[in-house]
Amino acid sequence: MKVDLALFAYLSQYQPDGMGGRHPRALELPDQSRIADVIELLGLPDQPRVVFVNGRHAPDDHVLAEGDRLAIFPPVAGG
Amino acid sequence: MTPRDTCSLPPTPPNDDPAVRARLASSHVALVGCGGLGSNAASMLVRAGVGELTLIDFDVVEESNLNRQLFFRDQLGLPKTEALATTLRRINPDVTLRIHTTCATEANLVGLVDDADVIIEAADRAETKAMIANVLSERLPDTPLVAASGLAGFASANEIVTERFGEAFYLVGDLRSDVRDELPLIASRVMVASAHEAHVAIRLLLGHPEP
Repeated sequence: MKVDLALFAYLSQYQPDGMGGRHPRALELPDQSRIADVIELLGLPDQPRVVFVNGRHAPDDHVLAEGDRLAIFPPVAGG
Repeated sequence: MTPRDTCSLPPTPPNDDPAVRARLASSHVALVGCGGLGSNAASMLVRAGVGELTLIDFDVVEESNLNRQLFFRDQLGLPKTEALATTLRRINPDVTLRIHTTCATEANLVGLVDDADVIIEAADRAETKAMIANVLSERLPDTPLVAASGLAGFASANEIVTERFGEAFYLVGDLRSDVRDELPLIASRVMVASAHEAHVAIRLLLGHPEP
């Protein structure tokens, strides 16, 4: 199946095409993949992150479906 | 008024000042954190006429806060919530304030923000920001949450923008300028971000969300 993957801020360097940038790109995944599987596949660092699927928050064990829009954003410190 | 009611009311006409004032006066915004983002955003919300605020912070005022946070030298050592409440009541004695001098955690956060119409994340640590976004987006998915990320340093203030990241999740900042990269926190840039947060909250309360 394919999902649209958008990675924000420093996470954009982990896009499989190596092109960086925050725009979404199609990612081919086995059916029944979970968000945790994507995180492992991409090798994302173990840093704070916020994950949305189709505009709604989703936990790491959320099972993705064809056409889902997956967005991962890492908050940075300061306030 | 139950949560979300204010934000789901019909949009207030932009040229109807009495309606704008009335809508804001009956609104409730919760601020999770009363430091650089939260203290300044709170003052703007009160000046704009928001009738009720919830202030959440565990910390006390320190000298190092005075370079960007809305506190004063004679408030050193006071809990930030209480010091801020005093200042907000000087602006508007009639504002309703709910004060929680405690650390927001996964366990208590939903209870602390209670029935706010809009919630503003105004924390400083990345871990806390993520916790707030994850807990509130999961447990209060329909209550608008305005968060900030990327406001350190002295890069152009024009890089700080507001965008809608999720259905009810709004993000302010340049998304990358990190205190952990030893960037300083400069009052002007922090206040730009806090003004963005306050303004998004006001627009949401008036029924005009960011696209």
